[in-house]
Amino acid sequence: MNEDEAFEYVKNTLRKEKITPYHSHELEVVKSVERCINCGLCISHCPVVAAVGVDRFSGPRSIAVELSRSPPEFWSTADVVYLCTGCGTCREVCPKNVDIPEVVNLIRARIFEHRPDLVPKSLHVLREVLTEYYLAFEPWEDKEEKNESRDMRLERLGLPFVQDKILDKAEVLLYPGCQAEERAQEVREAAKVILDHFDVDYTLLDDMSCCGLPSRLMGDHETERVLAKQLKEKVKKLGIKTVVTTCAGCTSSLSDISYRNEWGVPAVHILEFLAEEIGLEKIDSATKGSTEFSDVHVTVHDPCHLIRHTSRQITDFALDILRQLPGVKVTESEANDSCCGGGGLVSYHSDDVAKAVVKENMEAIQKTSADRLVTPCPLCTAQIESNLFKTGSSVEVDDLTVFIAQRLPKKR
Amino acid sequence: MDMECDLLVIGGGMAGLVAGTLAAEAGLSTILLRKGQSATAYSSGAIDIIGYLPDASEPFSTPEEGLAAIAGLYPLHPYSIIGYVDGIKPEDVVDEIVGRTRDTITWLKEKLKDTIAPLSGDFKSNIFPITILGTTKPTCLVQKTMYSEDLQTREDSVLLFTGFSGNADFNPSVAAKTYLEDRIAIGEPPRKVGHCTLRVSPFGKPYNVSSVEIARHLDHERSIEDLATQLKPQVEQLGATHVAVPPVLGIKTAMDNKKKLEDQIGAEVFEMLGFPPSVPGLRLQLALEEMYRTNGGKMLVGHEATSYIKTEGRITKVSAKAPRREMNIEAKAFILSTGKYIGGGLSGDENGIRETVFGLMTVTDAYHSAGEIIPSRYTNRIAISPEGHPINSCGLTLDPHFRPINEDGVEWASNLYSAGAVLAGYDYSIEKSGLGVAAVSGFSAAKHAIDFIKEVA
Repeated sequence: MNEDEAFEYVKNTLRKEKITPYHSHELEVVKSVERCINCGLCISHCPVVAAVGVDRFSGPRSIAVELSRSPPEFWSTADVVYLCTGCGTCREVCPKNVDIPEVVNLIRARIFEHRPDLVPKSLHVLREVLTEYYLAFEPWEDKEEKNESRDMRLERLGLPFVQDKILDKAEVLLYPGCQAEERAQEVREAAKVILDHFDVDYTLLDDMSCCGLPSRLMGDHETERVLAKQLKEKVKKLGIKTVVTTCAGCTSSLSDISYRNEWGVPAVHILEFLAEEIGLEKIDSATKGSTEFSDVHVTVHDPCHLIRHTSRQITDFALDILRQLPGVKVTESEANDSCCGGGGLVSYHSDDVAKAVVKENMEAIQKTSADRLVTPCPLCTAQIESNLFKTGSSVEVDDLTVFIAQRLPKKR
Repeated sequence: MDMECDLLVIGGGMAGLVAGTLAAEAGLSTILLRKGQSATAYSSGAIDIIGYLPDASEPFSTPEEGLAAIAGLYPLHPYSIIGYVDGIKPEDVVDEIVGRTRDTITWLKEKLKDTIAPLSGDFKSNIFPITILGTTKPTCLVQKTMYSEDLQTREDSVLLFTGFSGNADFNPSVAAKTYLEDRIAIGEPPRKVGHCTLRVSPFGKPYNVSSVEIARHLDHERSIEDLATQLKPQVEQLGATHVAVPPVLGIKTAMDNKKKLEDQIGAEVFEMLGFPPSVPGLRLQLALEEMYRTNGGKMLVGHEATSYIKTEGRITKVSAKAPRREMNIEAKAFILSTGKYIGGGLSGDENGIRETVFGLMTVTDAYHSAGEIIPSRYTNRIAISPEGHPINSCGLTLDPHFRPINEDGVEWASNLYSAGAVLAGYDYSIEKSGLGVAAVSGFSAAKHAIDFIKEVA
């Protein structure tokens, strides 16, 4: 057997050995593990370790130095890697910036491929939804009912209804994400109100499809690729200059795929769009006259996908905008940047862990004595709202996009 | 996206946070970039000024004595650079160094007074707190929770080492044995030492319990009372006057916990110095960040300085990269406090030792170029020895204004200052001078940068 034949032979045994070679875009992540100095700073900061202890979730260091070592044995880590919420705290505190959240995705992808029986069942269910509807949630069966639900939400929040705009060409694509498309419709509507108010030339997709983040988090590369490809074609056809989204997860995920798949257009959160494109002055003069609202005392939750997967600067945009809204008082919470537990698909299969993680936020929110929590992500909104409600708290929760849209004067 | 400020600090450990706080306090708009946590967060939380001369076996009893020796023997040590003031008389050099160091320490103590890491100790003398190995080490300041007033001076003191079952970081019986042997050898109190093990179950199980979990557990209401109930009979049985616990008394409530424990057991309680990453290191890092923020500094966490623009001998802009965004920051002056090998300010490979942000000249302990030093050849055969490792003394060398210099001996840029572990000429691990040099050089670099900005503006 010559060298080439030997190489081919070995390559053909990989499948049987349950080894998937690393893709070129994964190599940087794999190499980052070499930088780990085993210091353990990440363990002190990991919100899942803080919530359930190292005995249940062995922590980021263990993922980096133990669990990432041997590809054929990845399956043996399944009880741990599915508990990571992917908040990115470990990567941010790590002196060497070891990309542990991506190591988790990489391990999950190997388990998904070779030992699907070990992937939590609820993730298989989610995968079926994603492959059938290209959305992370089963869409409404009855369009009428969906509209009724939307109208009820708009009425409750005092938001006007702006007709959907679906154009062939536009400057901006408003991408609400699955949560705002199918569940938290008020967020999608609020974004339309804002863009409409500032006369932005925008369009929605005629056929909304998922950005692929849930597939990526469960390790389903195949579906992730299909979704990313679909979205790229849609974006390209529209000839837009910017993608604007209201979801934190979509912001980081779209930023990632637009770079990796060479879309040639940036993807930003609506807060960035407001601060950088519209400008604070315009928002200030637009909201100055609004007297409809009584004074409100708010505190902010910073979504992991915005601050740790995109940029911390976005928090400052949120605060800058909030502070200039009339009648709004902001008190920062001690746990403003602590994971809400809603990430990493953990709540799908280990809701007890997700609940334990969000507990820290609950206590800190109560301590601020704010009447309302605002956060620029519909997923964090849902996770925190349902948990606050269960503890009997009187603090209300609003998506920040909705909160801003409410304070714009009604047009026409 | 672009931002502007007066001073941009690169690096968020002790040096960077001290420098940033001083600048913000002076009314300058200050931004600090931090890509990850630093060796400060990783430390034992004790602030050493100067413990030993390299190769010496006897520690200094006061920082002043140590600084005078350093100034005489190591003229390019970061402490010595403080003494290079225009027109200074030779006999005033040591006073200048001592004065600046004392000012820094006094300032830092005051600034951290109301944080979760208030400090004890004094510039007047070194103290010798106990480590979790049962040894002692010279340092200048420790957190109040780690301080014992009279354990080692009171003739009748009796010390109880207390560990936690399932916490592998600390073995109380080994520490008690080591410490007692040491005290007998030097003939000083305490003359009686005991040990015991308590149970804590932060998550319902008394095994596989990490230090930070215990600390967080003790932050919760009523858990310290439970500990006191377990500890009290042990203290009474031994007749202990002092209780040494590993550094786990809490993250936010350590001070309260110490008081509560003392009230209930009737003995003085203090935390020992622990291995990295220790809880007091975490407290110190959090306290320094709070100090910086409350003085008006802006922090960009998760941002790494990736490139710069330099025109006419001045840096004008630095680019910073977050996971999925990039921005340019314009500033009038810059402070580089990126740390050594842990913090990532220096990196070494087969091609030599490099400064990672600006590519500045690096030098060895003997002030030769370190640009072509192969790191593996610049270490000692023995891992832990009083000689240390030459590679720890590599780094940047400065002009009297704390600006890194190039091969010609002149500053590399007129508005770039540097502080902390990225500097050459000292080995913190053998000198026991790490956080002291960081604080004092951060303080000094900031003073020069502030003067520069005010003159230019």
